[in-house]
Amino acid sequence: MKAQNSPCCEHAGETAVEVRDLRVSINDRQVLQGVNLSVPHGKVVALIGPNGSGKTTLLRALLGLQPIASGEIKVLGERRIRRVLHRIGYVPQRLVLERSFILSVREFLALRMRSSRNWFWKTRHQIDYLIGEALEEIGVGSLLDRPIAQLSGGQMQRVLIAFSLLEKPELLLLDEPTAGVDQPGEQTFYELIAQVQKKRHLTVVLVSHDLSMVYRHASWIYALNGVICCEGPPERVINEESLKQAFGIHVSPYHHHHHAH
Amino acid sequence: MLTESFMQRALLAALFLGPAAALLGVFVTARRMAFFSDTIAHAALAGIALGLWFGFFNPTFPMIIFSLVVAAAMMWLKSNTDLLTDTIMALLLSGSVALGIVILSLLEGRRGDLHRYLFGDILAVSWMDVGFAGALLVAVGGVVFTRLSDLTLLTANEALAHVCGVSVARLNYPFVVWLTVTVAMSIRLLGIILVTALLVIPPAAARNLSCNLRQQIVFSIMLGLAGSVGGAMLSYPLEVPCGPAIVLTCIALFCLSLVGKWQLARRAFR
Repeated sequence: MKAQNSPCCEHAGETAVEVRDLRVSINDRQVLQGVNLSVPHGKVVALIGPNGSGKTTLLRALLGLQPIASGEIKVLGERRIRRVLHRIGYVPQRLVLERSFILSVREFLALRMRSSRNWFWKTRHQIDYLIGEALEEIGVGSLLDRPIAQLSGGQMQRVLIAFSLLEKPELLLLDEPTAGVDQPGEQTFYELIAQVQKKRHLTVVLVSHDLSMVYRHASWIYALNGVICCEGPPERVINEESLKQAFGIHVSPYHHHHHAH
Repeated sequence: MLTESFMQRALLAALFLGPAAALLGVFVTARRMAFFSDTIAHAALAGIALGLWFGFFNPTFPMIIFSLVVAAAMMWLKSNTDLLTDTIMALLLSGSVALGIVILSLLEGRRGDLHRYLFGDILAVSWMDVGFAGALLVAVGGVVFTRLSDLTLLTANEALAHVCGVSVARLNYPFVVWLTVTVAMSIRLLGIILVTALLVIPPAAARNLSCNLRQQIVFSIMLGLAGSVGGAMLSYPLEVPCGPAIVLTCIALFCLSLVGKWQLARRAFR
């Protein structure tokens, strides 16, 4: 990888995401009530919390998709998020496509890159050449001719990761990326993210409620429930007391461990 | 048949409107906007009636304006109220039809016109309508093909489209405007009740024959063209109304596409 593509060297010590006293209301309900958070470059940070705690709202605010009532958001050093969108990769919860819309994986991936956005007039080889890097790294080569609407949950998430990585982002935002993916698929997914993150020194902000995966892959955790209830490294946050504070009920901090069979 | 000037006008209008509707239809069906188009078509009846009421000889212009007003009302109600989308559409659809029928029945000598607008009438296609249809095809083709990636992204996922730098509102509004104008223009040929067929059937038939979006777009345009021109041509010797002839031709093409799909599947299986 070229030096200019290695943000860790450029931005070492800086924060990739800075949120100050963020308040967001949706339909007169205060979803975020003064959230503060800071994500250093090159780290994997997880947002956990119960349903309706504002995790997805916070992520949408980071993308500039959610109007905010007050507070400040700085993403990659920029307050106007539209300016840095090309440096952000985003993986939504899932992609719900009408089965009548027969967009192929190759066409979908071509939509991400400036150089292949006029895909309609290009041959498949030209498109494959332009999106080649993501194919090798994520291993979606065999899926290229498949219609997106017909992929399984795990395959779809792989394709979405490939899509989000195409323009070489510095920041990756993942919104419960493994909802609807089976357990082995989920594990593979997080291992893939960890591998890519390490290789590209990406900053990752991940929304999840799978505590065991978060425990294994995140370096810092924010527990959210309208406000940040607690934060810290996984071993400090994922314990009974802090989870009770965040989720309001008893949650067992169960961690998966690999056993040799 | 081709020496008749009304037939020339009808065929040219079909030649322009079929591909335009079929091209938009690929995205209309994928974005679940077929009912939206149906509402627009029914709203046009009130537009036509109002046009005649105010003394327009050719009600195309007031029809398009009224349809655009109803489309705007639909979008405003959707984003500013808690009403369900279906409720909003049913409200505007039935309201427009009722208003149209009331006005037409009050107009002296226009009561019989209702049938023509509901089921289409090729005799009513003027050279001005043909000109409008030609310009519409150029505009719709231009907009869709220059913004194809953005439109595809928007259809796939709004948040992803936003991250890729697509201004969602700036693309949504023109799309609705061109869809509204296409639907309103096609009413002359197909009638209010049948116009949505031209948006829905060609993309569905194309879907049967395609493995990717590019193929679906190309096949949809070809099938829209074949269905509309073929139907208009068949309506003359068979002495049947043009709208139903076009719809039945499109359905015949859809059935053929199903056969094609089975053949393709069988060949792939071998």
